[in-house]
Amino acid sequence: MERPFAITLEVGSSLANKTGTWRTERAVYIDRMPPCNDACPAREDVQRWLYEAEEGGAGYERAWRRIVADNPFPAVMGRVCYHPCETACNRGELDQAVGINSVERFLGDVAIEHGWELPAAAADTGKRVLVVGAGPSGLAAAYFLRRHGHAVTIREAGPMSGGMMRFGIPRYRLPREVLEAEVARILDLGVELELDRKVTDVEAAMGEGFDAAFLAVGAQIGKRAYVPAGTAAHVIDAVSMLRGLEAGDEPLLGRRVAVYGGGDTAMDAARTAKRLGAADAVVVYRRTREQMPAHDVELEEAEEEGVMMRWLSTVRRADEGRLVLERMELDETGFPQPTGELEELEADALVLALGQECDLSLVEGVAGIEVDDGVVGVGPNMMTGHAGIFAGGDMVPAERSVTVAIGHGRRAADNVDAWLRGAAAPATPERELAGFETLNTWYYADAPRTRRPRLDAVRRQSNFEEVVQGHDASTALFEARRCLSCGNCFSCDNCYGVCPDNAVVKLGRPGERYEIDYDYCKGCGICVAECPSGAIQMVPEEI
Amino acid sequence: MLEQLEGSQAIARTVAACRPEVISAYPISPQTHIVEGLSDLVRAGDLAPCEYLMVESEFGAMSACIGASAAGARAYTATASQGLLYMAEALYNASGLGLPIVMTLANRAIGAPINIWNDHSDAMSQRDSGWIQLYAETNQEAADLHVQAFRLAERISLPVMVCMDGFILTHAYEEVDVPSPERVDAYLPPFEPRQVLDPDEPVTIGAMVGPEAFTEVRYLMHAKQLEALDLIPSIAGEFESAFGRRSGGLVRGYRIEDAETVVIALGSVLGTIEEVVDELREQGVRIGALAIKCFRPWPSQEIRAALSDVGRVIVLEKAFAVGAGGIVGQNVRLALGGGARIHDVIGGLGGRPITRRSLRTLLEDVLADRLEPRLLHFLDLDHDVVERELERLRRGGRPGPHAENIVRELGIVAARPH
Repeated sequence: MERPFAITLEVGSSLANKTGTWRTERAVYIDRMPPCNDACPAREDVQRWLYEAEEGGAGYERAWRRIVADNPFPAVMGRVCYHPCETACNRGELDQAVGINSVERFLGDVAIEHGWELPAAAADTGKRVLVVGAGPSGLAAAYFLRRHGHAVTIREAGPMSGGMMRFGIPRYRLPREVLEAEVARILDLGVELELDRKVTDVEAAMGEGFDAAFLAVGAQIGKRAYVPAGTAAHVIDAVSMLRGLEAGDEPLLGRRVAVYGGGDTAMDAARTAKRLGAADAVVVYRRTREQMPAHDVELEEAEEEGVMMRWLSTVRRADEGRLVLERMELDETGFPQPTGELEELEADALVLALGQECDLSLVEGVAGIEVDDGVVGVGPNMMTGHAGIFAGGDMVPAERSVTVAIGHGRRAADNVDAWLRGAAAPATPERELAGFETLNTWYYADAPRTRRPRLDAVRRQSNFEEVVQGHDASTALFEARRCLSCGNCFSCDNCYGVCPDNAVVKLGRPGERYEIDYDYCKGCGICVAECPSGAIQMVPEEI
Repeated sequence: MLEQLEGSQAIARTVAACRPEVISAYPISPQTHIVEGLSDLVRAGDLAPCEYLMVESEFGAMSACIGASAAGARAYTATASQGLLYMAEALYNASGLGLPIVMTLANRAIGAPINIWNDHSDAMSQRDSGWIQLYAETNQEAADLHVQAFRLAERISLPVMVCMDGFILTHAYEEVDVPSPERVDAYLPPFEPRQVLDPDEPVTIGAMVGPEAFTEVRYLMHAKQLEALDLIPSIAGEFESAFGRRSGGLVRGYRIEDAETVVIALGSVLGTIEEVVDELREQGVRIGALAIKCFRPWPSQEIRAALSDVGRVIVLEKAFAVGAGGIVGQNVRLALGGGARIHDVIGGLGGRPITRRSLRTLLEDVLADRLEPRLLHFLDLDHDVVERELERLRRGGRPGPHAENIVRELGIVAARPH
């Protein structure tokens, strides 16, 4: 072919001009900390597993494997976690947060359905670790300790595993077969579980040949407030009530039930009372709705089911069939003050849901262990003041939730491992937060959130069927694809397309990332300005 | 077959007969009717195969034409005024790469102040862009020039701009014999690209060329334009044989055989000029007119030959180099050397009509030696207005925008065409 002089050239002729020499700043791919990951108490790599799930099909198993690298309970999480990830989600500023929790549940359920197994335990280290308590924290610790290769024995005071996941959370929120499937997977890694075996003296127990211990006994004791009560008054605490129900011992509450308290447990107790046949379930709370510690979704579902609320009220006295309430008023500091105005409420039973306390008798007298305000002090590595004894979950100072407990279990396991090996505590690399302002939201399509279907209120008031239903494959996939991939490259090809110097090199197959050819990157920063997810940064050159 | 139709429709149908494979355009007055007409033809399937690209800007329009043409497609676009300026960078690319793109330029003034009416400021601003520039006197000629333009562009591998006066031609209804597809097919062979893009044999087009070769590339562009000076008359001649009418070429004289005075102009104003020439001829004045049909390349020799015995030349042009003078006039001086007295007259700016009466007054002034040849003359200039405005300027202070002041001075709310 005849080629016009100097107009048509061989391929690659412009590579002679190494425009990279003009550069004073270089573009560098970074992985910022997505807000969802940052907010996750179990430190799940949410952005990463959503990215895998976005592919659908084979991506689901990869996504699930990414979750269980940090948390062995995806199906439980997808039901009971209060998902601080979604509160932090940048998409919330765009339309609505990604329904991370619903995708996690979908993946967890798919895994149970397909019988996917957790990663195998590592080679035996010869070390033995005692875990006290088979709740979320203890089970999570056992899982990670097995993955480090340590032998694990869990001693559980109760007759069944699961702790508060079983005895605190009603089955309409967490069906037991789901819980059991995920617990069984952990036990299958070779964890020895001893039920009905309460540890009363941790040092004595450790003397049986354990090299370290992780304590996670939970907060099992319902707080009792002093309520003057007649002899025929029926007053029980919520924790005992829920535990009794789980153990097959259905509590007798009557037709009219009052629940005293404003936390999630109060909601659980009231909703359970409705399901057990109460015509009226009334929650009595000292303060206002805004001040209530229960999560919004719990309150919403409770109200849908006909649970009634008495705000700004305290129980002054309980008698047979009736309560005396006193109306409260908030003072300038927002604290409730009695007004002296009394009223009556008909109630056959009063359920106290005023918080829980820990039975810490097992650490009494153990040298170095500090107990303050009913909880055990631990360092950043989850170790108590006594070398080799670690603690987590509800018995240490922190927010009390299943997810926080699992996070403690994981962190404790990693630190137990480091301590046993005499190594330094594992450090997590600091990453800059991928704030909303780092995104180029223009590039993302509008996509309102898909809601998980809920069981109709009338159909759930009288049974313990699961209230919130799961996604099907199409809605889960849609939800996963709403992820903005904050601060992390998701291989959109934008940088590849906009680079005026063709200095962005595609590494190959779809999904693989890019490299910058610094022979030609002249540091113009267009890729940085046009990256949808803020995953590229300009770094000054040393000149 | 002669039909009574709007100039733009004549152009749309003629361009369609040339079977462009890619049309990429962005609407701008007074060109819009042309591309609207073409988009209708593409949508209705009357022009197929053809890809009509509605792009986001004139820069995009020309860029798409460049891509299409480099890939071996016959490519067409149209624009005007600011649209042409917006595609300026791409214009140079098209000519530098030697791509035979054809474009209609519906000549319109350039702002500010914004003005949608006709003059030649747009075309003249891109006179050095390396495009061939042909000027039409009538709608018939505008239509015919498009057929010739594709043939010329593809023969010589250069882009061609067909300039036609906005509104005066584009929106005028007059008789046109639209070239039929059959006859165009016989005249215009299918486009055989100089090179074809082939994924199996990749090349780089338009990449960086250093000082070692750039001068030569530019020289070759110049040489090709000069070559076009030979090609244009022969293509016009072949057109005349095929279609039975004269259109195009480099220059056209009107009653210049024994003329002592000749008026030079481009485009549709020639019609008015010829009428005034006829009037003066009746009074015994030896006067003629010379239409410049091709401004780039500049037909220096042809102009010199046509004006060899002429003592006085009036160059009437619809644009000028601000701060310097006439543009066409400068080129005419270059062609003629010394000899004739040359008057540069600027008229018709921003759509102001060039009337027979004004032209006649102008020519009588020239003939009576009342017009100073070294000064740039503005036809029908309102001297009172500019004097007052200049006086205001001389008085110092901040006179504000002239356009505002003049409009206020004239007591009109908004400028209107005369």
